[in-house]
Amino acid sequence: MIPIELYIGLSAIIFSIGLYGLMTQRNGIRILMSVELMLNAANINLVAFSSYNADLTGQVFALYSIALAACEAAIGFAILMAIFKMKGTINLDSINILRW
Amino acid sequence: MAVENYAFLIPLLPALAFVLTFFFGKKLPNGGAIIPIAAIATSFVISLLITLNLLANPEEVVSQSFSWFAMLNIGILVDPLAAVMLTMVTFVSLLIHIYSLGYMSHDKAQSRYFAETALFTASMLGLILSDNILQLFICWELVGVCSFLLIGFWFQKPSAATAAKKAFLTTRIGDVMFLSGIVLLFTDLFKIYNGAIPDGVYILRFDVIFSHIPEIAAMNATIFGMEVSHITIITLLFFGGAVGKSGQFPLHVWLPDAMEGPTTVSALIHAATMVTAGVYLVARTFPMFIAAPSSLLVVAYLGAFTAIFAATMGIVMNDIKRVLAYSTISQLGYMMLGLGIGATIGAEAVGISLFHLINHAFFKALLFLCAGSVIHAVGTQDMRQMGGVAKVMPITAATMIIAALALGGFGIPGTIIGTSGFFSKDAIIESAYVFGASSGMWIPYVLSIVAALLTSLYIFRLIFMTFFGKARTDYGGHESPATMTIPLSILALFALFFGGLATERFNTFVSDTFMNDFVHVNIAELAEIGGYHLGHHGHEPLIILWLPLIVAAAGLLIAALVYGMKVVNMDRLVSRNNPIYKLLYNRYYQNELFTNFFSVKVVYEGLSYAGRAIDTGFDWLVGWLSDLVLETGESLRQFQTGAVQNYATAVITGVSLLIILIKVVMEVL
Repeated sequence: MIPIELYIGLSAIIFSIGLYGLMTQRNGIRILMSVELMLNAANINLVAFSSYNADLTGQVFALYSIALAACEAAIGFAILMAIFKMKGTINLDSINILRW
Repeated sequence: MAVENYAFLIPLLPALAFVLTFFFGKKLPNGGAIIPIAAIATSFVISLLITLNLLANPEEVVSQSFSWFAMLNIGILVDPLAAVMLTMVTFVSLLIHIYSLGYMSHDKAQSRYFAETALFTASMLGLILSDNILQLFICWELVGVCSFLLIGFWFQKPSAATAAKKAFLTTRIGDVMFLSGIVLLFTDLFKIYNGAIPDGVYILRFDVIFSHIPEIAAMNATIFGMEVSHITIITLLFFGGAVGKSGQFPLHVWLPDAMEGPTTVSALIHAATMVTAGVYLVARTFPMFIAAPSSLLVVAYLGAFTAIFAATMGIVMNDIKRVLAYSTISQLGYMMLGLGIGATIGAEAVGISLFHLINHAFFKALLFLCAGSVIHAVGTQDMRQMGGVAKVMPITAATMIIAALALGGFGIPGTIIGTSGFFSKDAIIESAYVFGASSGMWIPYVLSIVAALLTSLYIFRLIFMTFFGKARTDYGGHESPATMTIPLSILALFALFFGGLATERFNTFVSDTFMNDFVHVNIAELAEIGGYHLGHHGHEPLIILWLPLIVAAAGLLIAALVYGMKVVNMDRLVSRNNPIYKLLYNRYYQNELFTNFFSVKVVYEGLSYAGRAIDTGFDWLVGWLSDLVLETGESLRQFQTGAVQNYATAVITGVSLLIILIKVVMEVL
């Protein structure tokens, strides 16, 4: 059986990659993808601890989380498309009108 | 039906008359004057009946008290002191109201006039009837308000508005002192009862106050390193109130200016309703004064000084009403002196002082009403433009001469022949002699005798300048209508005969005001507390009895020689180059000193400077605060970049720091 530390390690790595992407990328789609990565890192944690504790609750949560992530991705892409139609770009640096 | 049960109606009827006249007066003839006249006439009848009743049984004073709230009550007390005041006030006020029918007949605001005088009378009657000091103070303030309204009756005139304001503010200084005295008295009484006041004991009622005088006297306060008894402080504060109301030096400045109101109002203020309140207050709280070391001496000295101080100014005034105003101040000084010498003669002082107050009310009301009659006919107040008025107005002239004789104090000592002023003023002067003989302090006596000379001088100067000689201007004029001359004649009768007929009976009657079934005060014991030794009216030398008459006659003679027969050319004396004349004519520069310097420079400009300083200070503080907020906002809004990733970075940094913090805290715990 694979020890729990490896799952947590994998999850931490994926989360950090997502975080890094979130903070450095300028393209809206890439940022959405980074967010998906962070969500999935969390899902890995949920499933790993569910298996470790022999308790299905975690896996149920993971299913919910995946469903929510799908919705979120759909809404996110829809927003990005609307922005693209309006400004012709989805570079987030140019979307900064909500400021001082 | 005992008339005592209706004593409460005495102030309430005029108060009701005030309401009725105020709302319905305009629709009635003469501004509804009949309502206050009827009300005050009824009050007069009730007062007179009660007084007659009291004369028969001096022990049975009328006293009714109702609980108001907590340990305070409202109630009425008619003892001899109050009874004679009530009768005098209602009587004089009634005559003045009848006289006003004629005097105010051309005025447009008659109903307002009669409403306000009715309230004025009502508040004064309430003041006299009060059986506790708080109720007295409330009425005291009401009197002040009414005087403000009436002095400023012709408020369209700027001078009248200013005079009203001045009167109100000047008496206010005294009122504040009076109120602080009440507060101090209340605190002391509360302490004496240890805060546990039994039911039915109203601690500001006079009988309760008087019965605790020794305990209050035992309390001491240290002021400037001197041990001062609380009773001294309280009485001096009360006297401060009386100084304001009764126009004693240095708060007398409002009285001459109060001449701006209608002459009838001046008569009301000077004779019946306002200035006597101060004397009445001191007389009412006399047991406290006599237990107070040095308070009575202050009263005596200040009274004597005011008497002569005002008389000197009366000599040079040219405005007929101003002469009378200074005369009032001077006579009030006599009354205060009369009370002050109670240090020697005990409760008798209240009798002689009140007697002078009553007589003064008669002849001063008469003088003012006569002056009003003259002004009504001649159309000016300046005596230099009068002269020879006696030919045109014989009744007015005759009554005014009677009043002048009464004020001057003419009579024959040792008999009952004499004007009313003679009996009361000479009693005060003789008591001042007794005071001097027993205490060695002769100053009050000397001042009072010189003031008597000046009194006679200025009042006959007024008579000669106004009524005799040749008319100096073409004024026309006619005798006043009967509504005006009849009150004059009635008052003249009283000014002539009241003193002679009443003197003995009156003095014993009022002197016993602190010995009855309501209060029972042993003046002699209280005098011990004050450190006074009571003497008696002994047998003064004959010269002392005759001296006041001699100086009065001398005053008359000087006035006759100078102003009647013109043996001395006054033009040389009456000039701006004569420093004494200039000093007197400018009223000792009081106006410059009090109004221009003290009020304008010190108070007004001082306050406005302080106000400006405070204003600037607050302005700076508020400005600084708003700048601070604005600048903080300006720098903080830079964080709001609009770039999503900056926010994400901030969130992540924040969460990381939070986690680290939690970790550290957990480690430490």
